Amino acid sequence: MAFNILVVDDSAVMRAMIIKTLRLSGVPVGDVFQAANGEEGLQVLRDRWVDLVLLDINMPVMTGEEMIRHMRASAETSAIPVIVVSTESSDTRVSAIRKMGAEFVHKPFPPELLRETIHRITGTSHDQQSGDSALQGSSLDF
Amino acid sequence: MISNLETPLYKAAASTFEDLAMMFPSRELDELQQVAPTETGVCVRFAGPFAGRLEVHLTTALLPTLAANMLGDDEATDESVARDALGELANVICGNVLPAIAGSKEVFHLSAPAHLVPGAVDPSGLPLAARAQLGLDEGRAEIRLFVAGEPG
Repeated sequence: MAFNILVVDDSAVMRAMIIKTLRLSGVPVGDVFQAANGEEGLQVLRDRWVDLVLLDINMPVMTGEEMIRHMRASAETSAIPVIVVSTESSDTRVSAIRKMGAEFVHKPFPPELLRETIHRITGTSHDQQSGDSALQGSSLDF
Repeated sequence: MISNLETPLYKAAASTFEDLAMMFPSRELDELQQVAPTETGVCVRFAGPFAGRLEVHLTTALLPTLAANMLGDDEATDESVARDALGELANVICGNVLPAIAGSKEVFHLSAPAHLVPGAVDPSGLPLAARAQLGLDEGRAEIRLFVAGEPG
């Protein structure tokens, strides 16, 4: 199974880095959609089938926290796994994010951490994936 | 300036350059690096237990390398992409240095990175709290932390 993934971050560079990391991570990736803030992200969720959302917290127009709240309040999107990818280091705020059912990955992050987090949150295992060897020898940290 | 803020500022900046841009800074600058201009600057403002802003100034000639390394793409030399890359780098430095100063329980809100106009004076007049310099290839980066009041 390949995951359709939505990446929400106001930095085009960071979106590109996350997508590159996803492709390095060995996780089977289907369609990748991008949005620059939570409002655009919700629009993508209305228009497309998405299996996993990776999003930043500090964004203009609508923050990542607000987007998660909207997702959890809607029957169509409440069960979609969410991974927050952020520089946020406050235990208080990270704890609040986890209480909303999201996983958290701190920037900068190694591809292995993103892969493990995706496996954990989607309930898939490394054995189910093809292309795990893509990570071997990789020392990239994002 | 507050001398005990310089070490966490340097550490946050150095590890971010290493992890995000695969550029390995030196704390001691050689003669070339010392005189290298830092014409390109970005700023991230923050608010929380204390407010302020963090600026990253970089030798412009290093921008293409920075962007290419961050994106893993040798063709990533477009100037707007490179400036966006520097802004994201500043955002990560700021996000990592604030908890190192204030503790991990405190909550800060960071603004989107903004590019600095060379020679422009910030109207807020915040005092410089700490400054760190990093030698990078044939240029340098200078990180400035401005804080209102007494942090930590």
